Amino acid sequence: MSAWIVIMTAGLGSYLFRLSMIVLISRITMPPDLERASGLVAPAAFAALAAAGVAAACSGLGITGAAAPLAAVAAAVIAVLRTGSPQAAILVGMPALWVATALLPS
Amino acid sequence: MISLSADRSDIAAGARAMLPWLAGIVPFGLVIGVSAAQADVPTLAGWLTGPLIYAGSSQLATIGMLDGGAAPAVVVASALIINIRLIFYSATMASYWRGTPRWWRLTAAYLIVDPSVAVGLDGYRRLGRDRGHAHYLGGAVVLWVSWLAAIAAGAMVGASLPGWLHLEFVIPLYLVGQAIAKLANPAQRRAILAAATVALLALSVPLQLGVALAIAAGVTAGLTAKVRR
Repeated sequence: MSAWIVIMTAGLGSYLFRLSMIVLISRITMPPDLERASGLVAPAAFAALAAAGVAAACSGLGITGAAAPLAAVAAAVIAVLRTGSPQAAILVGMPALWVATALLPS
Repeated sequence: MISLSADRSDIAAGARAMLPWLAGIVPFGLVIGVSAAQADVPTLAGWLTGPLIYAGSSQLATIGMLDGGAAPAVVVASALIINIRLIFYSATMASYWRGTPRWWRLTAAYLIVDPSVAVGLDGYRRLGRDRGHAHYLGGAVVLWVSWLAAIAAGAMVGASLPGWLHLEFVIPLYLVGQAIAKLANPAQRRAILAAATVALLALSVPLQLGVALAIAAGVTAGLTAKVRR
């Protein structure tokens, strides 16, 4: 199977995921628990992908090498908590990463 | 009713509501474009993950695994596992789209992804169901165009960006911001903490199943908090 077919198959499957409940729920009533669960998926997915992403960025760097990305994450968390804006994570975190990478030993 | 011609201000409002998201999305698209250009797959095929898969984490995993020579079935399975959350998003939007024309459901469903759902839900809550359709479409189309343009730009010029920028770290920071901003809600806080913990504990689980497990654990923990309140 070529890369083209793999990408088209993954794309078709993803579209069917997007369409699935829209088609099904026009015929069935959604259980209340599933309604509540659907509101929790996005925050859970963001947290899971964030934790895995930060861990992947730090893997193989050692304790000193991981200090810069972890400092950037800490700065991002503080910025979001203080401002309430999710965008503050990037606006503060990326400059913090550049500064920490320049200052901390790798 | 779908009457988009009469709702241009709502379409524009949806487009404006998407703009702050683009600060995190566009760098993510650039990174995917760079990955596509550098991977051992045709650059056009890598770019096509944008319009076909249209979900960043899954696109990155697909390009990375194809580049690494993974078995095709494993690549497809991994991409779909990462996208399982789209089923929940589909369920979330279904209640607003019940009774709409088929062309709308087919089109609007294609545009479902994390930011379009977030902006869309905000529009439905503030404007009601009918005007919310236009709000959703405005935000989702801006996102789609920006996403594909960012991937194309990344594929063309991203490879020459200096490494010290560490653009790859934009993605985790974007996700950290989205998660931290939702901590105020008790059920979501429980979901976030449980999902992050399980994701870290399950780092070595293959096929990125750890992320799917973490999402399931987070949702379960959040539901528990709801019941106990």
